[in-house]
Amino acid sequence: MSASFGSALHSLANYRAHNTRASQEVLEKGKLLLNSNAASKLGDDAWAFLEQLALAAIDVAKYDVADECIRQLAAKFPESPRVDVLTGIRMEATQPPETVLKFYEELLEADSSNAAIYKRQISVLIRTGKIEQAVLKLSEYLDTFYSDVEGWVELAELYSSCNQYTFATQALSHALLLAPQNPFYVLQFAETAYSADDIPLAVKMFMLAIDTVDRHTSDESIPTGVSIRAWYGVKLCCRVLSERSCSSASETPLPKNLNLLDELATERVLTAYSAGGTDNATGRELVFSWMGPSDRSGSRLHFVH
Amino acid sequence: MLGRFFLLFATLLVLHAAFSTYEHLSHLKSLGKPEGSLPYDIVLEAIIALALGILGASLNASSLKETTWSSEMKTRSIDEMDARLGFANYVNRGRNIFS
Repeated sequence: MSASFGSALHSLANYRAHNTRASQEVLEKGKLLLNSNAASKLGDDAWAFLEQLALAAIDVAKYDVADECIRQLAAKFPESPRVDVLTGIRMEATQPPETVLKFYEELLEADSSNAAIYKRQISVLIRTGKIEQAVLKLSEYLDTFYSDVEGWVELAELYSSCNQYTFATQALSHALLLAPQNPFYVLQFAETAYSADDIPLAVKMFMLAIDTVDRHTSDESIPTGVSIRAWYGVKLCCRVLSERSCSSASETPLPKNLNLLDELATERVLTAYSAGGTDNATGRELVFSWMGPSDRSGSRLHFVH
Repeated sequence: MLGRFFLLFATLLVLHAAFSTYEHLSHLKSLGKPEGSLPYDIVLEAIIALALGILGASLNASSLKETTWSSEMKTRSIDEMDARLGFANYVNRGRNIFS
């Protein structure tokens, strides 16, 4: 039994570290631990585990498990802001939104520095469809808590959902300032700029994303993950730039040597899809046909068919 | 494995050199002339033990870990960056699918 406990604990810690929201698995693994009262044996990790289990239980509507976890946490940490947030989330699942919002207002009057409560308020507003109010409140929140990267990315998503892509890029630029080493946000910025029809900015940010993630890899390596997506983006932008003239709202200059960039992007994506040897990636033929005729300057391209 | 063997051998060599020094000094004391320099072969033994020990420790060390941000970011996925758990919505279809 203890071996399965160890592996369960390990995978639960993994979920916590990677922000995974696999609620059903967390509930199954966590219920074993909760029933055997392992919370007393886990030491400091027990409280993070209880919080994770409570949230997973609320996600799949097992409210008895959630109530038990919250009870244990409240017993250990009375008057804790984190437990207040959990109680609020539990209320959100069963009570109407007005009750929950009033509860959060009371909590904020008592302690206005609890950032997580502001975020829960905004989440309730988004859920009930009051997008403008949510955007206002989120901008206010970010004026005070500037360094919350999650908040800036959420603001960008809100703007994107209303097709306000320029405002979304502005929000993402703050996220980039706060987390400059993160290629995922650079990629999101590039894709939002493409949607905002600022193609020169998009191609510049796609290349920045590739640089951020591939700075230390050699020239012959296979692109993976963010790189492939960014190379696709470069290819798309080059195609658009060669078909029509694009003006840039941010006045970004066009890259020189668009043809060479186009060829490089093609070669990089096709290398990624040809890397497997005999067991090639799915969709490989589609990618090849989408890339178009590959006889532009055959001597330069050397991807393996 | 070779590194561990070198390290062990170097430790034994150092201990042997130390013991030889002790023996030599007690020999000189018994002869009544406690002032004398250490014989050069013990010094040589100690220096060889040092060199072998350094070699063994270097070979025995674990492999180097990556330190760049880009290598760390390669282990992350786009899902965990998009998660935004502070704003997560807990009133969703889960209640109908899983209950």
